[in-house]
Amino acid sequence: MTYSLPLPDVSDPATREFWQAARDSRLLLERCSACGVVRWPPSPLCPECWSDSYDRVDVRPTGTLWSYAVYHKAMSPAFKDAVPYVVAAVQLDDGPLMFGTATSEQGTFGHIAQLQIGDRMEADFDHVTTETTLIRWRRADGDAVEEPRS
Amino acid sequence: MDLDAAIVGIGTTEQGEIPGKSANEIAAMAIDLALRDAGLTKDDVDGLITCRNLHNREGIDEQVGHLLGLNPEFSATLDYGTGNFSLHLGVMALLAGLASTIVLTYGTNQRSLRTNFGTAVGGGADLKTTAGLVHVAGPAAMAFRRHQHLYGTTEEQLGWVAVAQREWAQLNPAAIFRKPLSIEEYLAMDYLVEPLRRPDLTMISDGGAALILTTRERARDLRKTPVHVKAIAEQTALRADQNPDNLMRPWLGDVAKRLWSSSGLTPQDVDALYIQDATSVWVLQMLEWFGFCRVGEGGPFLAEGHTRPGGSLPVNTHGGQLSESYMWGWLHLCEAVRQLRGECGERQVPGVEVALDCSSHDFLKGAASLLSTH
Repeated sequence: MTYSLPLPDVSDPATREFWQAARDSRLLLERCSACGVVRWPPSPLCPECWSDSYDRVDVRPTGTLWSYAVYHKAMSPAFKDAVPYVVAAVQLDDGPLMFGTATSEQGTFGHIAQLQIGDRMEADFDHVTTETTLIRWRRADGDAVEEPRS
Repeated sequence: MDLDAAIVGIGTTEQGEIPGKSANEIAAMAIDLALRDAGLTKDDVDGLITCRNLHNREGIDEQVGHLLGLNPEFSATLDYGTGNFSLHLGVMALLAGLASTIVLTYGTNQRSLRTNFGTAVGGGADLKTTAGLVHVAGPAAMAFRRHQHLYGTTEEQLGWVAVAQREWAQLNPAAIFRKPLSIEEYLAMDYLVEPLRRPDLTMISDGGAALILTTRERARDLRKTPVHVKAIAEQTALRADQNPDNLMRPWLGDVAKRLWSSSGLTPQDVDALYIQDATSVWVLQMLEWFGFCRVGEGGPFLAEGHTRPGGSLPVNTHGGQLSESYMWGWLHLCEAVRQLRGECGERQVPGVEVALDCSSHDFLKGAASLLSTH
C-alpha cells in the first residue's frame, strides 16, 4: 500500500543527511565542532557559540517523554484518514527535543498509543517509502522517570 | 514612569463573515471607525502601522496607505499581528518623534478565504508536519498535559476558561459565540486534540480593528477619555524549541517581571485582565506567569470563579477569541479601552482604572501593556 500522508523533502540540503541516516535506522544530528553542543533542527551556525563548523554524529535514539497530544480530529485535511493518532515530544538523552508520531504494537495511525509523561522512549524507524524513513517513537522497556510535583 | 502615549480612538468592524471585502478594505473600515471615535480626520494622521495577514500578502502598509490615500510621515508593517506588538511599535514611534497621531490596524478576511490553520507551528517544520503535529492545538495540548502532570490540573479546571468567557460573551452583543455553555456541557464534548475540546480553541473569523495613538497633550483636546499607556514590556523566545520547556512559555514571566518593575504596579492593581487566547491554555499559563496566582495554581484559581462575571479578576470581558471573535488580540485592546472608558453597558466592570493586556506570538514572543485612565 502506498503511503499517503505528508512526506518530508529528503533532498533538502539542510536535512538530506538526517533522512539518509534514518533509512539506516540511525539518528544523525549536527554537533558543533567548536563547543560540542548537539543541535536540532539543523542550522548553518551553532546557536551557542556561532561557529559555522560542525560534524554530524549518531546520537542515542532514546529519550524521555516530555509530553504528548492525542489527535482525535484531523486538524489538517492531510490527516483526515489518519485519526486517531498520538504525537510525542521526546527529550533526547543526548539533548534536543524531538517530535514524532507515537507507535505501539497496535500500529501508528488509527490508533492511540498508551503513554505517560516520563516514559522512556525509543525511536522506531518506519520505512514508509523506498526513499523515506520517518522517525516514530515507542515506549521503551524500563521504568518511567518520575517528575517532581511541586 | 508613565509613557507619553494615549489611545484616543478605537474602531471595530462587524466580526464573523465579511464576504466580498479584502483584508485591506476591512482594515480601512476599522481605521475610519477609529478616527470617528476620536473625532479626528484623515488629515490628522501622520503615522500608520499595519499587520500582514498570515497566509497572504495583504495588510502591508504600502497597500493600506495607498488604499486610504495617505502619505504618513512614518509607516510600518508587522508580520505577526497580536495587538500589543503593534501598540508597542506605535509607542516607540511616538516617543521617538517619528509621528504624532498614529493609526494602528489589523484587518482580515481569513474566514471568507477558508484559511487553513492546519500547519505546523514553529521550527523543525518537516518533522512536525510528517508527525501530524499540525495546528496550534497540538503543542497547546502538550503544554496542558504537562501542566496536568506537574501540578495535578484537571480538564474541568481548564474548562472554566471557556465557560467563563462564554458567560462574558453573553453580555456582549458583538460576540459571535453567545450560546450558553456550562461546565457539564464542556466536559461532555468530544476532544479535538486531547485533552483539548472545541471551546478551548479560537474560532476563525473575518474582522477589522484599529486604534489611534497620540501624545498625552494632544489627547487632552480630543472627545473621548484618553487611555494612557502606563508601561509596556516584551520578551522573545527566538531559540524556540531549544529553550527548556518552551511549550510552557516560562519566558512570559520575564515580560511580567519587567512590566511590574517599570510601572511600580502589582497584579492586585489590575481591575480587568485581557489575555490573548488562541487556546484556553494561554489563559492558564499567563494567569500564572503574570503573578495572578502562583505557578501551578492556575487550575484551582480558574475553578474558584475569579475570572467570571462578578469575580474578583474579570478576564476577557468581551468573550475573547474563544467566544467573541479571532482578531489576533486586537479586540482585547479595544475592550480594555472600552472598559476603562466605562462604555461596556451590561458587562461593564465597575470602577475599572487599570487594565492589563497580555499577548503572545505562538512560542516565540510575549508582550504586555498596562493601560489606565490616569
